[in-house]
Amino acid sequence: MKSKLYMVLSLLIVAVPLGLLSENPAWGEWEENYYQKILGFIPNGIKNAHTIESPIANYSINGLSHVVSYYLSALLGLALIYGIFYILTKIIAKKQDNHGSA
Amino acid sequence: MHIPDGYISPTTVITTYAVALPLWIYGLKKLKEKLNEETLPLIGALSAMSFIIMMFNIPIPGGTSGHAVGAALIAILFGPWVGFVSVSLVLLIQAVVFGDGGISAYALNALSMAFVGSFSAYFVFKLVKNKKLAPFLAGWVGLVSSSFVVALALGIQPIFWTHNGQPLYFPFGLKTTMVAIVGSHMLFFGIVEGIFTKLIYNYLQEKNREFSYEK
Repeated sequence: MKSKLYMVLSLLIVAVPLGLLSENPAWGEWEENYYQKILGFIPNGIKNAHTIESPIANYSINGLSHVVSYYLSALLGLALIYGIFYILTKIIAKKQDNHGSA
Repeated sequence: MHIPDGYISPTTVITTYAVALPLWIYGLKKLKEKLNEETLPLIGALSAMSFIIMMFNIPIPGGTSGHAVGAALIAILFGPWVGFVSVSLVLLIQAVVFGDGGISAYALNALSMAFVGSFSAYFVFKLVKNKKLAPFLAGWVGLVSSSFVVALALGIQPIFWTHNGQPLYFPFGLKTTMVAIVGSHMLFFGIVEGIFTKLIYNYLQEKNREFSYEK
């Protein structure tokens, strides 16, 4: 099962720039000027939203092309997910060891 | 379906975090029971897959786009709690690192895409397990159920939170959100999630003795 999953995952990663084909935003996730245009105003909460500055907002890295940014984002996301699960597994294994010897 | 900051009222933020927190704690406990050296690469790969397929924005008529989530596949292979916690982790990374989905809306996004998506998919899969189309149905129902939660949460904003008749947060009501969000997921993205779930599920099942890690 592992090798099959890795195979599918690799294929998906190779194809990931296909996700850039659409410039359409998701429904509801518009720029602020969309609300201005449609409603004549921007809802206060949306205008004054507290957001944190994301290091790689919108999966785009300054100075790099969309495709390269998207690839790097995909790999970074993958590394972070694996890293966190890996650490979790180590913590669990250690705990079980401690239980065993106690 | 990644709701950004500023779209939902503080009351909604607090309520969703209050609901999600105990679920995360319990889910993490359930994940710990399943996570070991053997399952780590599998759960890791499935979660990474979820992250990657959410990057495939699919354009639809009407000028918007959407994507599959991949929660159903994890839920039917490893159980709904693992699906919930894994997709929650994916959403957390998306929110913090990539600005995809707001931090204040993170609990809501986790409840819709990860929790409701995993559990509804899992129950449908159990219900129609012997049917060939079970994985497809699980994926479709899972994603459509997620979209229902999003539509509900956004659609109630202008009902409860206005100032001088102007909506303070997300401005469009239930009728609009139900048609636009649930409708598009029934017709398009749910189908994609269903096909993705079925294709990968069948592919993994081929010649595999130790297949399901669920239970």
